[in-house]
Amino acid sequence: MVDKKTVEYVAELARIKVDPEQKEYLAGQLSKILEYIDKLKQVNTDNVEPMREVNQHRNVLRKDEAVSFSGQQDILNNAPSRFETYFKIPKVIE
Amino acid sequence: MNSYETVIGLEVHTQLKTESKIFCSCPTTFDSPPNTNICPVCCGYPGVLPVFNQKALELAIRVSLALNCQINPNVYFERKNYFYPDLPKNFQISQYKMPLGHSGYLKLASGKTIRINRVHLEEDAGKLIHREDCSLIDFNRTGTPLLEIVSEPEINSPEEAFDYLRYLKLTLIYIQASDCDMERGSLRCDANISLRKKGDKILGTKVELKNMNTFKGVKAALEHEVRRQAKVLQSSGTISQETRLWDAGSSKTVVMRTKEQAHDYRYFPEPDLLDVAVPGAIICSEKTKIKELPLEKEERFKKNYGIVDKELEVFISNVWLADFLEEALKFYHQSRELVNWVLGPFLEQVNLLKLDPPQVKISAESFAKIVKYFSEGKMNNLAAKKILSLTIATNDDIDEVIRKEKLIQVSDENGLIAFVDEAIKENPKAISEYLEGKHQAIQFLVGQVMRKSKGKANPKVARDMLEKNIKEAGR
Amino acid sequence: MLDVINLSGAEIAEKISSKALTKEETASFFKKRIEQFDQLLNCFVDVFEEYPKSCGDSPLSGVPIAIKDNICIKGKPATCSSKILSGHKAVYDATVITRLKQAGLLILARTNMDEFAFGSSTETSCYGPTRNPWDRSRVAGGSSGGSAAAVAARLVPFALGSDTGGSIRQPSSLCGVVGFKPTYGRVSRYGLIAFGSSLDQIGPITLNFEDCAYLLNIICGSDPKDCTSLITENIDYAKSLHQECKGLTIGLPKEYFGQGLDSQVKDSLEEVRSLFQRKGVSFKDISLPHTEYAVATYYIIGSSEASSNLQRFDGIRYGLRSGCSDLKELYFKSRQAGLGDEAKRRIFLGTYSLSSGYYDAYYLKALKVRRLINDDFQKAFKEVDAILTPTAPTAAFKLGEKIQDPLSMYLSDIYTISANLAGLPAVSFPCGFTKEDLPIGAQLIAKSCDESTLIKLGSLYQDNTDFHKKMPPLEKYIKNG
Repeated sequence: MVDKKTVEYVAELARIKVDPEQKEYLAGQLSKILEYIDKLKQVNTDNVEPMREVNQHRNVLRKDEAVSFSGQQDILNNAPSRFETYFKIPKVIE
Repeated sequence: MNSYETVIGLEVHTQLKTESKIFCSCPTTFDSPPNTNICPVCCGYPGVLPVFNQKALELAIRVSLALNCQINPNVYFERKNYFYPDLPKNFQISQYKMPLGHSGYLKLASGKTIRINRVHLEEDAGKLIHREDCSLIDFNRTGTPLLEIVSEPEINSPEEAFDYLRYLKLTLIYIQASDCDMERGSLRCDANISLRKKGDKILGTKVELKNMNTFKGVKAALEHEVRRQAKVLQSSGTISQETRLWDAGSSKTVVMRTKEQAHDYRYFPEPDLLDVAVPGAIICSEKTKIKELPLEKEERFKKNYGIVDKELEVFISNVWLADFLEEALKFYHQSRELVNWVLGPFLEQVNLLKLDPPQVKISAESFAKIVKYFSEGKMNNLAAKKILSLTIATNDDIDEVIRKEKLIQVSDENGLIAFVDEAIKENPKAISEYLEGKHQAIQFLVGQVMRKSKGKANPKVARDMLEKNIKEAGR
Repeated sequence: MLDVINLSGAEIAEKISSKALTKEETASFFKKRIEQFDQLLNCFVDVFEEYPKSCGDSPLSGVPIAIKDNICIKGKPATCSSKILSGHKAVYDATVITRLKQAGLLILARTNMDEFAFGSSTETSCYGPTRNPWDRSRVAGGSSGGSAAAVAARLVPFALGSDTGGSIRQPSSLCGVVGFKPTYGRVSRYGLIAFGSSLDQIGPITLNFEDCAYLLNIICGSDPKDCTSLITENIDYAKSLHQECKGLTIGLPKEYFGQGLDSQVKDSLEEVRSLFQRKGVSFKDISLPHTEYAVATYYIIGSSEASSNLQRFDGIRYGLRSGCSDLKELYFKSRQAGLGDEAKRRIFLGTYSLSSGYYDAYYLKALKVRRLINDDFQKAFKEVDAILTPTAPTAAFKLGEKIQDPLSMYLSDIYTISANLAGLPAVSFPCGFTKEDLPIGAQLIAKSCDESTLIKLGSLYQDNTDFHKKMPPLEKYIKNG
């Protein structure tokens, strides 16, 4: 059910490179898993509300107060590549 | 061209005026040095969680109400998943199935109503700066609260699009939801445009336009696109559904290099945020914060003060000026005079001194007094302007300043007779010119009297006295 | 040196408080054991030279604790046992870390885990697998294998793990220790590197229920930084220790005792039942009819959320970056190089389930079945106070046995997954040993927010048994090399 083309499509969405020789193998593994997951089709879910959240509470909101984070230098220090105080990446063509 | 109808839909993004970001407490100040308004949350660090800003909700409700939307009583956020360097989590927290507001409308001055499809909340992305050999990312802007306002495709000309944007912007400013400064990016606009044969029910293929950085740019881009599409259709071609960028430099639209072929955003409800049951109390409270809207103000100004056209535009576009005028009118009821003074000497001073509205300190009452004094002849034009220049940024007491600067206009003949006699005595040439019929020579003499009186002479009285005395002397 | 190895964390704290021991001596003691034995087990990713500053008072002040590698400790690496986070140093403390510091605990080390918590054996870690202290040829379970094995081997008095589908309970069962997953929202997730946002919880792994209760007291509580955290009154779980359990009713769901359950595990559970019955607890047969769909439901929901949560690992702001010629390469190659096979599989599965055309059939469907599973529990808890099940279908399996077959690995979570789907508190505790001297674990599940009943029952069980006191024979490995 999951073929090479699907693997390519999903790999594109997930931005993960898959070497050509891996594609078939991955397709096979995913197919096996999805075959098992197809069990869910047996369950009658007519009129069942999806359980989007586990706890029922609502409206946890934050007061609009600006607070500066003190560890900005730490954030910049984690950058694999930097230019002054910018994060640097290969040129993006828009 | 006339056989085609233009169909335009506009998608506007506006930054809401909050102190902190939508899902974290970083400041939203514009123009901070790069990567200084950042924290682990808005930088998409591992392990962080969003917490929704109450003010963003309130402002979003206010905008939805001002745009006559229905408000969804229970809203939730969804993740819009895509990869881009200015998007730290590589998903944007937005609203998809359940926008905050929907089915609203905006009325234009022409009387036409443009329906609003939806108003929803989302977080802004960062800024990319492109250099020769690399790109740089500044995350200061990431997480700024955005409101997306999508119109129905009911705008039928670039002109109308301009109007729509103008009224939308004014509305947002009037209700203090946003600064709407396109240059600072707090207001952005994308357009969808298609053409169809007049009478056709089905919409033509739409083209998305981006990169229009001013309202004029939007209008120009749409005008260009109308011409382009008409040309294609007239030569029996087909319009491709694509995204085009407006190139203001060359005044044309160009096809954008596609970022992603298929936009499979894989929307799903954001599990880290709770549903928001929109409290009725907030809706009521926000309703009270919507005072007069731009169109209402326009109609009132036209009716009550007879202000129209370009003058009206200035007042509607600058609420503080309109408020100032109306306040001044409480103290002096001659609306035409006040309007002239506000649009004339007052604005001149504001521009000369480069004042921002909060720096204009003169009270409306004091301003009205100046205009009144001038009108009653207590001060001449020059003196009145001088008082204004001295008090516009200070709000010093007008009468005090007049006393101090001795700016009361001298209209009494006894006060002026000496200056008039001197002026006549010292300028025989001007006298003879005047007697020969060159009446403009009198202006020179009036000027002399003004100079001698250090600007205090009532120029009309001075002129009358000069004419009388010259005639008498000439006999 | 006092017989520290036989002391509970609370007892160690008492000794430190009475100055019979110092903090430094205690830390030293465990560090020596780690030096001696961890090369055999690979529980630890990093043992700190410098400890995060902590000062505060609690019944556990001064006691060393180990932290799973997916919980952020400011200034320390946090890698989720993944290459893609190599080089990443946490820039803030997780809320649980702040709480531990304020309670005066000594944060000693980071423990090994399945990469991004994807796994039930700690075999997907980029640092190599953690071995079971009872039998080094077997897995320690996962994904909190490092934490569970470390506690079992007495290399540290207790540890924190995280549980998304059983990742605290299953390794605890396989290693013979107590592993507690609180109610969803009981413990703040701020600072826990997310896998399944609607499923994850941090919880304690300890030798006994005393330490478990004290740790819960420290880490539980609402957090304004995590809006899914519950806003409830703080409860003193220590009050539930050594209490009477007469009159409580425990349910036995038939679906958990059928095919696939190892007979030795089944027998052990029988003994557990007998013990509780002797203490006045009643039992009732119940049914949780949608149990067979739990694994499928979990894998769709968990993978979908994970696929999105892991998108941030792109080599731009932190972690591994490779393939720099253009932006596309940066994404594709960094993620290819940095993510392991199981991580990729889950991301692919999740991306697929959310993608256009499949969302309704997979993700939305799974959310609906989740509701039904939750309803099963709601119904059951109208009749019982707790539910007793095995934690895992078997004792620890061999290294390499299931890693080639993802589906068989997934199915080993069959008893633990439902509690995550329903957000319920659940605990695994040692209840016996197999013929091969491998630990067996029993699981108790309670109503939402009813951690107290679990502490009560678990503490009663341990007051009457010795399984939790038995130690793995580590010395024999040293002798045999």
